[in-house]
Amino acid sequence: MIPLDHVIGLSAVLFSLGVIGVLVRRNLIVMLMSVELMLNAANLAFIAFNRLWPGTDATPVLDGQVFVLLVITVAAAEVAVGMGILLALFRNRDSADPEEASLLKW
Amino acid sequence: MIAPPEISPSVLAPIGFTAIGAMVILVQDALLTRGSSLLGRRVTPAYAGTLNAFTAMLFLSLALYVTVVAFASGDSLVFQLANPVYQQDRFGSFATALLVVVGILTCALSVSYLSELGINHGAYYALVLASITGAIFLVGAIDLLGVYVGLELMTIPIYVLAGFDRARLRSNEAAIKYFVIGSFATAILLYGMALIYGATGTTSFGAIRDAFDPTSPVAMLGVGLILIGFAFKIASVPFHQWAPDVYEGAPAPITAYMSVAVKAAAFTALLRFVATAIGPETEQLSDVFAAFAVLSMIVGNLMAVIQENVKRMLAYSSIGHAGALLIGLVTGSPGGYAAIAFYLVVYAFMNLGAFGVVIALARRGQECERVDDFAGLARTRPGLAAAMTLFMLSLAGIPGTAGFMAKFNLIVVAIRADMIWLPITLVVTSVISLFYYLRIPVLMTMREPSEPPSRTGIASGEALALCLCAAVVLFLGFFPNHGMLPWLGLELPVLDWASDSVTDLFGS
Repeated sequence: MIPLDHVIGLSAVLFSLGVIGVLVRRNLIVMLMSVELMLNAANLAFIAFNRLWPGTDATPVLDGQVFVLLVITVAAAEVAVGMGILLALFRNRDSADPEEASLLKW
Repeated sequence: MIAPPEISPSVLAPIGFTAIGAMVILVQDALLTRGSSLLGRRVTPAYAGTLNAFTAMLFLSLALYVTVVAFASGDSLVFQLANPVYQQDRFGSFATALLVVVGILTCALSVSYLSELGINHGAYYALVLASITGAIFLVGAIDLLGVYVGLELMTIPIYVLAGFDRARLRSNEAAIKYFVIGSFATAILLYGMALIYGATGTTSFGAIRDAFDPTSPVAMLGVGLILIGFAFKIASVPFHQWAPDVYEGAPAPITAYMSVAVKAAAFTALLRFVATAIGPETEQLSDVFAAFAVLSMIVGNLMAVIQENVKRMLAYSSIGHAGALLIGLVTGSPGGYAAIAFYLVVYAFMNLGAFGVVIALARRGQECERVDDFAGLARTRPGLAAAMTLFMLSLAGIPGTAGFMAKFNLIVVAIRADMIWLPITLVVTSVISLFYYLRIPVLMTMREPSEPPSRTGIASGEALALCLCAAVVLFLGFFPNHGMLPWLGLELPVLDWASDSVTDLFGS
């Protein structure tokens, strides 16, 4: 069985990659993918930690796994909305570069 | 054979009314075929919009009624005893009532604004109701799962609403910015939840409190990430950069709703999380909150001074108010939490009022949002100018208005908790804020109107909403706790309600 540390380590690396992606990449679709990466890193952490807190054999506790199911559902809704907003932006201006979305500035 | 769980369905009544209302509006809008006639009038987009708004307000009023009944009964109920996720108690009901009233006022302010801008679609009101459903779920959540689902249900409709003016590039931009930043914040929050689950083995607030170990790095990292997520939602410095852009680009009623309801719901959830899951006395937390509070007050109020756009100015002012609210969290005492609850009520009405005036000035396809647009308004639209002056004075915290009472309360609580620098910062930044708040009344009275008034009439919904906001601001300014409406036989001790509601959190 893969040790818990490795799974948590992988999830931390994925999360960091996601954060860096959102902060550094200059393409809205890639930024969206990076956010998804962060969400999935959290999912992975939930699944892994559930192994740490399994409950007993008679009454298994599946809090972490239930959480993940809900996160996946909600994230799907979120992406659908996000793609819709992106599409509306593309219709008005043919670019996915957030630098060009600069009408609103201080 | 599994026994059916014991449930108390009445707990879900407020959520049920708003959620069903959202679906009813969608069906109703689809059935209202344009061009046919209903109740002796041809169905135009404006007429359909009015009907949809009425349905929304009807369902919100029902939700308000059941919430007030629940608050009066004072019970703490959960939907089901095994693994409770949502709890209806006085604290939740207090915030729910505020959110629902904000929803009603938002709908009232939206009707003619949407017609003026030509974006009168039924989905608008359905999305507002869906967002309020999420907000209500968020303020009653007693499990990380509930916080996550409530937060997302509250925010996802607002992503759409911020970009509701689809043909306008600025609205698109506001939506995409809010979406990227918002989902980024949610992902950070979610990872924090995962770490807390890893450190404590549970997602329920009460059980986290029992298992929480402030010396464990994993647990503290989790709490830190959750706080960052919340700081994004309440627009506190240093996680505030999205707010001015989004507030400026979104349709004005949605900006009003966002600045008030999202802030109130996120603050309430944060209070509940801090008080019941990690313990308000945790010292590292107070230091973080104090830093956030000072930074928000200074940056928000200084940046507001140089703004030429009213919506943008109000965005920075709302960052400043978020800083003031955080002072109550630093104290970690029931008094501080009650001061926050009262401040949220006051802030809701004065900010909705200020945005209401901006909304009432919008004309065909165009918003009236530059500071210069307010020049000479006292001559052309005296009623609106008077209302705007009142809301500006209240936001600045001039005695005689509700804004003063809210700030006064916070300062008293902070001084009782032996803090010096936070109340001083609040007073100094309030003085700075006078500069930009009073600029608008000065422009309205001292300068000649530059162009003919944008719109001469005011819609009845806007007039009612503005009158209600102005009345509440004045009323709470004079009677924060001894308010009475003798001719109705009604006592309105709002401060007492606020302090009653927070006792739920401190378990006494």
